[in-house]
Amino acid sequence: MNKRYAFLMNADKCIGCRGCAMACKNFNRLEPSMVWRQVYPLAESIYPHRERAFYSLACNHCDDPACLRACPTGSYEKREDGIVVHHQETCIGCTNCVRSCPYGAPRYNAEEKHAEKCSMCRERIDAGLLPACVQACPVGALELVDLNTLNEPNAVQFPAGYPSMPRLNPATRFILPRMPRQIRGQS
Amino acid sequence: MQTTKEMLMNKSKFRRPDAMDRRGFLKGLLAAGAAAALPGGLLTARNATAAPFDPGAYQVFRNACPRNCYDTCSIKTYVRDGIVQFVEGAPESTFTKGALCVKGYTYPRRLYSPDRIKYPMIQDKRGSGNWRRISWDEAMDRIADKILEIKKRDGSLLGLGLTKYSGNFGITNYGVEGMMSSLGYTTRFVGTPCWPAGIDAQNYDLGDMWCNDPEDFVKAKYIIVWGGNPAWCSMHSMKYLYQARENGAKIVVIDPVFTQTAAKADMYWRVKPGTDGALALGMARHLLDKGLVNQDFVNNYAVGYAEFADYLRQNVTVDWASEISGIPAEDIRSLAEEFAAAKPATVWIGYGMQRHTNGGAMVRAIDAFVAMTGNIGVEGGGARYGQMRTWGFNYHAMIRKQPEGSIGFVGATGPKGEFDFAGESGTAYSDRALNINKTAQEILDAKDPELKMLWVSCKNPFAQDFDRNKLEKAFARLEMVVTVDQFFNETVQHSDIVLPVTTLFEEWTVNVSYWHYWLSLNEQAVKPMHEARSNIEIAAALSRAMNKKAPGSCTFPQEVDGREWMIKEFNKGVYDYFGISSWEELRNGPVKAKLSSSAAWNERVFMTPSGKYEFRSDLCAQNGFKALPEYVPGREATAPFRLLTPHVQFGLHSQFVNLDWMENFYPEPFVYIHPDAAEAKGIRDMDSVRVFNSTGEVKVRARLTSNVARNCVVMYEAWFRRLAFNVQNVVDDCAADMGAMKTGAPGVAIHDQFVDIAPAG
Repeated sequence: MNKRYAFLMNADKCIGCRGCAMACKNFNRLEPSMVWRQVYPLAESIYPHRERAFYSLACNHCDDPACLRACPTGSYEKREDGIVVHHQETCIGCTNCVRSCPYGAPRYNAEEKHAEKCSMCRERIDAGLLPACVQACPVGALELVDLNTLNEPNAVQFPAGYPSMPRLNPATRFILPRMPRQIRGQS
Repeated sequence: MQTTKEMLMNKSKFRRPDAMDRRGFLKGLLAAGAAAALPGGLLTARNATAAPFDPGAYQVFRNACPRNCYDTCSIKTYVRDGIVQFVEGAPESTFTKGALCVKGYTYPRRLYSPDRIKYPMIQDKRGSGNWRRISWDEAMDRIADKILEIKKRDGSLLGLGLTKYSGNFGITNYGVEGMMSSLGYTTRFVGTPCWPAGIDAQNYDLGDMWCNDPEDFVKAKYIIVWGGNPAWCSMHSMKYLYQARENGAKIVVIDPVFTQTAAKADMYWRVKPGTDGALALGMARHLLDKGLVNQDFVNNYAVGYAEFADYLRQNVTVDWASEISGIPAEDIRSLAEEFAAAKPATVWIGYGMQRHTNGGAMVRAIDAFVAMTGNIGVEGGGARYGQMRTWGFNYHAMIRKQPEGSIGFVGATGPKGEFDFAGESGTAYSDRALNINKTAQEILDAKDPELKMLWVSCKNPFAQDFDRNKLEKAFARLEMVVTVDQFFNETVQHSDIVLPVTTLFEEWTVNVSYWHYWLSLNEQAVKPMHEARSNIEIAAALSRAMNKKAPGSCTFPQEVDGREWMIKEFNKGVYDYFGISSWEELRNGPVKAKLSSSAAWNERVFMTPSGKYEFRSDLCAQNGFKALPEYVPGREATAPFRLLTPHVQFGLHSQFVNLDWMENFYPEPFVYIHPDAAEAKGIRDMDSVRVFNSTGEVKVRARLTSNVARNCVVMYEAWFRRLAFNVQNVVDDCAADMGAMKTGAPGVAIHDQFVDIAPAG
């Protein structure tokens, strides 16, 4: 059976350090203004303590990617292992993909006049290595998993705050953050 | 090799060369046409164009993060075409475990930042911003002339001062101190703003600061993180806490702020700042009441326990501790019982907790609580604070002889510090020691002779020293300020001459941590950018200029080889401790000390005068404190809100936040205030506010959060390249209690600061 690669984002372990996002910039040598992975603090309506729980998000490598459907030049490729690759060399910078992705994964690179996005470090995966962001997580909050074999009963596909797009069927899975018992001696 | 596409696109060096090969370029041209002709082909999968990543296409160098950080990461640096392409954590270190932190991953950008100081420059008038490029020779001529003039005027070089601390902990950078010694007896700013009160406290109790291997947290069954935020400040330690929890441990965080670490704990206690000592004593009293004291430890491995128990019985109750700390009595009791029942149990004593006027006393109280449970000298246990066992280098670069006939401060007392490895000099003269934690006041007060010239390296006084307004007045007294740095920060703005210094990729050195037990080589991976030089090369250049003008006036070698000097730092003791036979083995990756036990004090032989754990320390009493770890109240409030200025994960003091890469994730500082307090002040979320006290004022936007208490505000210290934001505007230089014994000066009560806040209007 084919693999279907995905990120497992464990918000219970995530400390919001942004190491994953910076490791992405570092390995992929992004333009200074470009970010392929971003770490989003959860709204207080979802997690009551401000900026204390996060989703680290890049491309969700959807089953039926909106970017791929929207691209007029065929610059998106869906690999058999689930990875959605954007080919910068044929991109004309029309930004259809940027506007069609509900997760904001493709971004427009104004410097080089094309879109770009997370490739799940496919060239690292193809070499038997982990994506740069996964390797960079100091607490194991970001994992590379195969959805076809994932056995994680706590994993959810559409947690609160993350756009629910069943038709696109994004591959990313989440584990929700804990809340400690609190004794606030000082009000 | 540059590809056709890259040449056509004039791609910057910073793009990944292997992202697109020639085949991809050709295929790209074809695909564009094919897609237009075949609309139905849009969903057809194509073959990947990028070749698998090939680590073999790079030259890999070993580096180490030299910042003042628990984690001191071992780095693998990938170089191609003479350019650092990217970095990653060394997989050989089980502590770094392949991962750097958000700061570490910015290093390539730091190396190639357009903002770097590129060559020596002179500022026509301090603060004017009128910088002119000068040659290294001219810079050194001007500096040497000034040094010789001071020596002629004063008859000594005590008018020349050095302020240096933790900006770069690479061992060869102690050559800056060596450079000063090689000129004569000078003035040194001594002490540390970081951790001195706790160091002395642990020395009184245990005879040294020595912590368990942090990797042995996994053996703990109960972990209290007390006044520290490892999720931001030692993120590589967090995996061990998580693993301990998976093994059944409970994690408790005690902190005035609901930190990121607190959010990951099983239980969080919001303690009133500065009352942690009372809390620990209350827990200790409950152990006593319930018969939970480890009698073997207190009777056989400790002195003064009976007196301490008497003190507890007569002066401490759980209700009293509850009243002072704000933590309910029943919770104090249950935590003390749980901690005593769990075997082993440990406390990680954070540095934040001791940055108080009673900080040392509070650390002693926590040590005592841990000791009473018998968790000292136990794997997975311990009162963990830090260690310097891995620092046994030669300090070849640092230990330099003064020129013959040098005149100095009378007496051989000299400066000392926790990183002062020079030992006793035994000479009639010494350097003049001034308190680094009162830099501004000490400059203003220095007499006979006055301080005329300041050399700044591995430090940013305008970001780190206290009472910035006073520091401006103090700097105005100085006739010449020379700063060695990489970016035009506030201290550089207040300097006459700036000298560009190398980054970790551009110099040879060796690094260790004050927390974990790994040793890392730092190889020169690329040639220095621009005209940057290492600190020891700068010292050699100064020596050339000095000796040209006045032969014999500087003993520092006039030529240095960074690699050779790195090798000279090693000795048999270091090799034996880490189980290697040559430094060259470190080229294969970092190595860990060969520890007979993961526990500090595992033989329960202590380095105190009695050789035992000292609940009663006569040395502490001799130094003017209580012999027992008694309760000492904190500093009285002087304004409505307590101000805390701890560290943020995006920076280390004034480093990293200025980089454009970091601005993607941390573009702006805030003051964090409780929503109720904000409402009372008429402050809404994201409003601009003034945070002020008698020391000064900070203008910043507010963020409302119940992560802070109603009577407390938080600003994270950092230097933003485009903002005037500086927390030291409102932090005074009030001293902590302890620290003078081991570091040469008491600490600073950084977290005993008080402010008011108002809309900026």
